[in-house]
Amino acid sequence: MAKIIGGIGTSHVPTIGVAYDKGKQDDPAWAPLFKGYKPVADWLAEKKPDALVFFYNDHATTFFFDLYPTFALGIGEQFEIADEGAGKRPLPPMRGNVDLSIHIAESLVNDEFDITTFQDRPIDHGCASPLPLLWPHAPDWPGVIVPIAINVLQFPIPTAKRCYKLGQALRRAIESYPEDLKVVVVGTGGLSHQVHGERAGFNNEEWDMEFLDLFVKNPEELTKLRHADYIRRGGAESVEQIMWLAMRGALEGEIRELHRNYYLATTTAMTVTLYEPA
Amino acid sequence: MNPQLAGLDDLEGTYVFDLHTSNRAMKLNRFLWKMIGTEARAHFSKDPEQAMTEAGLSDTEKDLVRRQDWIGLIRAGASFFVLEKFARVAQRTNLEVYAMMRGETFDEFMATRRVPECR
Ligand SMILES: [Fe+2]
Repeated sequence: MAKIIGGIGTSHVPTIGVAYDKGKQDDPAWAPLFKGYKPVADWLAEKKPDALVFFYNDHATTFFFDLYPTFALGIGEQFEIADEGAGKRPLPPMRGNVDLSIHIAESLVNDEFDITTFQDRPIDHGCASPLPLLWPHAPDWPGVIVPIAINVLQFPIPTAKRCYKLGQALRRAIESYPEDLKVVVVGTGGLSHQVHGERAGFNNEEWDMEFLDLFVKNPEELTKLRHADYIRRGGAESVEQIMWLAMRGALEGEIRELHRNYYLATTTAMTVTLYEPA
Repeated sequence: MNPQLAGLDDLEGTYVFDLHTSNRAMKLNRFLWKMIGTEARAHFSKDPEQAMTEAGLSDTEKDLVRRQDWIGLIRAGASFFVLEKFARVAQRTNLEVYAMMRGETFDEFMATRRVPECR
């Protein structure tokens, strides 16, 4: 039986990918970010999970607004990393496990979570920006990813509570997979930031800390918040933090926070956290 | 009104991208979105007017694109996430686009940041 052994919360700011590709790991302005991922990368190297399930969002790359799925699960042996306007990144395609992805799709749909599936489409920074900070990519990625995209771009988007329930359903899917796989669930996005309008550049460190504390101790509280609450407290695009709640749903019950790094340098509060079931 | 979004009317400088906006600005957003394709980028660089006409942009939209009026494009219904694809083509970083949307120079904007060297 497959098992969820932990959870990771991480920002997916595209500039993390740019800084990574430019080799800025030791640049004093960037080092606090990259160093903050080291304990998580070490934990992954030690635990050797077979799969990372990514709750992430597409940024109108894989899908366009003419047909924008609320929840979509990727199926494939591999997933190309998308060109988002600046050309291809120097990274190998991410690896997938077709049987595992299909099992999750079947389990979710039979569990009344009628998820869309996609195949043979590139994936953007929603997954690809944090991945090389978590896993080495040379000579190849050490495991597979299961990408689950959540619409946080075009309203109506799913409620915080719905995302939490998706995580609970994912857990049932994982735990009904016959192979003994070790799985880590990753919730991406946030924390406070706004990237559009005159309010661009908005942050709220106090709220970010409150979010991180409630996330461990009382996630129920966070599932009750409306999108407007997230937008007001953390900036418009911070509403994507509801994807962390999908990860929390998959780790339902008591959890321990093993690591937290918070680095608010320019516009997004870049955060990475690591959790294990208590 | 979507009850998940109610109560944001007084929040300035925020333009929620919902299906009303998306439906209204579909052509503009599709034009910006296509910049993830090498062919669309090459076509736009070679003949921007032709590319905009083919995409069915209105005169107002064409003008906003010509002037790279980022806040104007947002107000016209562009999603930031396709706008940033066009910013790559226009050789602008996101930080520069944020500054312009706020009506600040790049240096003014960066002076408000905690680690301005982080770029
Ligand atoms: Fe995002």
